Amino acid sequence: MIIRIDPESEVPIYIQLTNQIIEGIAKGELKPGDALPSVRAFAADLGVNMHTVNKSYHELEKKGIIEIVPKSGAVIRRHLHMDSNTYERLYRSFIPHIAEALVLGMSKEEMMKLVKKIINDLKED
Amino acid sequence: MALFISFVILCLLAIVQTFVPYFVKRTVVFGVSIPEQMIQDARVRSYKKQYLLITVMVSLFMILFFCIWVATKKPSDDLLILISTVIEFVIIFISLALFYYFREKMKQYKKEMQWEGELKQVAVVDLSARSEEQLPPWAIYLFPIIVTMGLIGYTFYQYDLLPNEIPIHWGPSGEPDAFTKKTPFSAIQMLVLLLLLQLMFLGIQLGIKVSGIKLSATNLSASKNRQLTLRKSSSWFSYYTVLLITMLIVYFQLATIHPERFQDSQLKILIPLGFFILILAGTVVFMVKVGRSDKREPDSLYSSIMDINDDRYWKAGLFYFNKNDPSIFVEKRFGVGWTLNLANPIGYIIIFLPLFFILLITFLFN
Repeated sequence: MIIRIDPESEVPIYIQLTNQIIEGIAKGELKPGDALPSVRAFAADLGVNMHTVNKSYHELEKKGIIEIVPKSGAVIRRHLHMDSNTYERLYRSFIPHIAEALVLGMSKEEMMKLVKKIINDLKED
Repeated sequence: MALFISFVILCLLAIVQTFVPYFVKRTVVFGVSIPEQMIQDARVRSYKKQYLLITVMVSLFMILFFCIWVATKKPSDDLLILISTVIEFVIIFISLALFYYFREKMKQYKKEMQWEGELKQVAVVDLSARSEEQLPPWAIYLFPIIVTMGLIGYTFYQYDLLPNEIPIHWGPSGEPDAFTKKTPFSAIQMLVLLLLLQLMFLGIQLGIKVSGIKLSATNLSASKNRQLTLRKSSSWFSYYTVLLITMLIVYFQLATIHPERFQDSQLKILIPLGFFILILAGTVVFMVKVGRSDKREPDSLYSSIMDINDDRYWKAGLFYFNKNDPSIFVEKRFGVGWTLNLANPIGYIIIFLPLFFILLITFLFN
């Protein structure tokens, strides 16, 4: 899987990393059970500070997307169903985006279409 | 013999210095990073060509001068080696001066063209690159290390057989030409130095492993190919070098313990000469392999992006200093191979600690 970072973007590098890894898993480029590179190797490949990668891995661990296994490092977890805590967290994080869309004049149908489009884009390639 | 060796070294040096801009990563020209899109730019190409022509002419002139001097003066081996060394330095010095001359021109040209303003800088990682990497396992270094330690044991076992004068230096003909008094330490001194050297090369291999696989955003597949080739080839090449050095030193040590077995043997000339030729051949194969590994054209050229401009981490275009980068080694900007990340203390330890011990042993115990 290829990860592209824009160091001049307003989005901090660790968030760019986190988001791209999550997208990679959604797209199937990374599979449950796959190990991510070690923090040191990843930071060296990118030429960024190790803290940046570390922060991103912690973020992913907090979200329950990876688990840090001694010796094998960061491994992508498998999720078959969603627990209520995660559901609650996602529910809350969708609210501002959906509210923003409503305020900016998006209709319910358009929003449904948008969600479908995003899912299709992720599942397609 | 000395003439042959000097001549081969001079020619090889001339060839390497001449073609250096063509071995180097495509997107770095005289230590200045340029966008992939501009590699075929006429000015950029003409700078490379000018460098090649001037270096080739200077080198040819120096080698010709050397040949005429040898033919007319018939100098002694010592003088011959001295002068050829001076000429080697002159060639290196002139090509370095040219490097800085064209580097300045490249910098100016880059500024003039304002490539950076139009293109977005992007850093790229391929998460699968690490699993595709085929570095030799570090354990292969155990073999020469065990051989060396075994020979240290054998030397003590045969301590009585050793002559009172232990050779510590050998001339080009394979005959020892400098000696030191026999003590338990001087008897194994060569092997201890060898052991330190082996540990240093092992450290370098481990350092390569943890250093970054730096990819080019605009030419992913070719740059990945180059990085993986560089890592694999340099790991194997350093192992090859260690094996050859080990064989050479083991031969010298055995010849010191059992001089009668090697008395009239052809090995005396064949082994040092063979060592020399095999090292040179290995170097050429290594450079050609790495040099060719990114010549593939990019699969698709994105017009709006370029690699991160890391020129500011390259002091004087040659020295890498980047505190954020945990890499110990990085690919050189000019020439083929690796250079230290001078901001990383581990690199100093790998390179200078064994060197420190080698110098300590050489000066303190003699």
